[in-house]
Amino acid sequence: MADESPLVELRGIRKSFGAVTSLAGVELTLGRGEVLGLVGDNGAGKSTLMKVLAGAIQHDSGEILVDGESVRFASPAAARRKGIGIVYQDLALCDTLDVASNLFLGREPRRGPFIDRAAMHAEAGRILRDLHVRVPSTRQEIGRLSGGQRQTVAIARAVSTQPDVLILDEPTAALAVAEVEQVLRLIADVATRGVGVILITHRLQDLFRVCHRITVMYEGRSVDNALVSQLDTNSLVDMITRANATDADKEAASDH
Amino acid sequence: MTTDTGNETGRPPGSAGDEAGPDNERGGAPPVDPDGRLARLWSDANKPTLLMVGVTVLLFAMLGLASPDFLTFANLSNLATQIAPIVIVGVAMTFVITSGQIDLSVGSTIAFVAAISAELLVAGLDSSLVIVLGVLAGAGWGLVNGWLAAYNNIPPFIVTLATMSIIRGVALLRTEGFSVPIDNRLLLAQIGSTDVLGFSIAAWLALVVAVIGAILLNHTRFGQYVTGIGSNEESVRRAGVNTRRVKMFALVLTGAMAGLAGLLIAARLGSGSANSAEAFELTVIAAVVLGGTNLFGGRGTIVGTVIGAVITGAIANGLTLLGMSPFLTPIITGCVLILAIWLNLRGRDIAQLTGHLLGRRE
Ligand SMILES: Nc1ncnc2c1ncn2[C@@H]1O[C@H](COP(=O)(O)OP(=O)(O)O)[C@@H](O)[C@H]1O
Ligand SMILES: [Mg+2]
Repeated sequence: MADESPLVELRGIRKSFGAVTSLAGVELTLGRGEVLGLVGDNGAGKSTLMKVLAGAIQHDSGEILVDGESVRFASPAAARRKGIGIVYQDLALCDTLDVASNLFLGREPRRGPFIDRAAMHAEAGRILRDLHVRVPSTRQEIGRLSGGQRQTVAIARAVSTQPDVLILDEPTAALAVAEVEQVLRLIADVATRGVGVILITHRLQDLFRVCHRITVMYEGRSVDNALVSQLDTNSLVDMITRANATDADKEAASDH
Repeated sequence: MTTDTGNETGRPPGSAGDEAGPDNERGGAPPVDPDGRLARLWSDANKPTLLMVGVTVLLFAMLGLASPDFLTFANLSNLATQIAPIVIVGVAMTFVITSGQIDLSVGSTIAFVAAISAELLVAGLDSSLVIVLGVLAGAGWGLVNGWLAAYNNIPPFIVTLATMSIIRGVALLRTEGFSVPIDNRLLLAQIGSTDVLGFSIAAWLALVVAVIGAILLNHTRFGQYVTGIGSNEESVRRAGVNTRRVKMFALVLTGAMAGLAGLLIAARLGSGSANSAEAFELTVIAAVVLGGTNLFGGRGTIVGTVIGAVITGAIANGLTLLGMSPFLTPIITGCVLILAIWLNLRGRDIAQLTGHLLGRRE
């Protein structure tokens, strides 16, 4: 990407919660059609970084560029307008609302001042069918679904907003093998359509399956960055566990 | 995996991934199962509310047997007038409780609007103007509650406990505790004494408020977000909704409806008093919770609230007919509130509830 600006670029993102510094200067780039694996220990700051990018929390300092344009998301709605879609690690569903209501939360189809429930359920059915998501009914309360079903509904919600950037924060944690396969296919599929995908996962095999590049986070910093084609399982594990990082505390210098 | 709608097609759960082709995915479609209609109605129905319908029928039968006057049209019409303010405020309170909040200041707002509107009438203002001002004054207090609770993150329980004292205090200060008579030739007094088709205007207004409330709760984005916020506020916020505004508006609703109820109570009594509607908030909360609206939020039912109001009203009405002391009513209301909360908790303990009301935050 010589002269063309990347889809997303994060520069020196910092975020503290009171005395806790969650992000201490993170660099990250994402290209169009690229699948980026974001890895690191629990507590490394991956989810916090993605919440910043999705507008769910506001960073203290640093810069977010989308399509080369510097942006600052005051709210999740602002990020969504810029084409950011996200599946949160905690899914962000409302248990007492039904499947269709959760799918369309914040963007319910309306007829006049009223929610067009018929259209909403029909469209929800179509979306879930297209993504091969199986739920007993779109009128089922989300709280009564299994963990895997909830997760697939959350993924369907993010994908159905047709984002330019799709963030998946441990999207397969509660899924059965076949469902994981489906999500991986979905990721590859949207990426070929030009969507940039950020995938957070602890499953190494998934990283090798769909990711083009891996960015490693450690204690609130981005510390490593490598093309998947240049990695094997051992070197990836070394990267994540920072087996070679003892000699010199190599900062995020190799990030570009 | 819950399959209690009976809609599953028999494939094992977890086989979602196999997709040999779109044509064998029929089972993958969320089915519109014609046979499931009854089952769906049953599963959609609010069980506590259904239970309350049964309780109401039983209660009416018992009171009818105990007192021959209870089931007369005149008494039922009278009952409708008595419960009208409870329904009007209760409908708004349903939104507040469903959104995970509470409003303890409604009784004080009723007293404030009743007293101040009577004063304004004495000062010579036109009734129609006073009615508008009364509702706006209530909404104004609601705005204060909402701004403090939603925008300044003070738990609504605390905010409205404080404004409960402030609002009635202002009214007492202005009227020095005297009740202000309303000239019965004025339009507002006429409203309190006119019947339409055998029912008071207050009763008809309560019906209108309940219908609008049900539509608002079940068929608009506002109602959807109220329910969603009560279920998981952060999820609704992350979906791009201005959750603070929604929560504030719910409290504006209770304020405005308390204002309307204050006008109707002053109209019926022919006077406005800063001492009226004592402990009214308890009656309203009892009615709402008794009807099946979840005290933790996330689940609300307007029909349930109306039923809850009918039950609390019928008990008070029946006691009077049976010649019992009217001072029994607050005792019964308190007992009903405890019973309602006990039914409502269903497994959760009271410590959780206290934590919730006092604003345990994420
Ligand atoms: N709202 C918050 N308040 C305080 N600390 C937080 C908050 N959110 C995240 N943190 C802290 O930030 C750090 C990074 O967390 P997180 O982004 O969830 O890590 P990861 O997703 O990589 O496991 C953790 O130490 C966590 O405790
Ligand atoms: Mg995380």
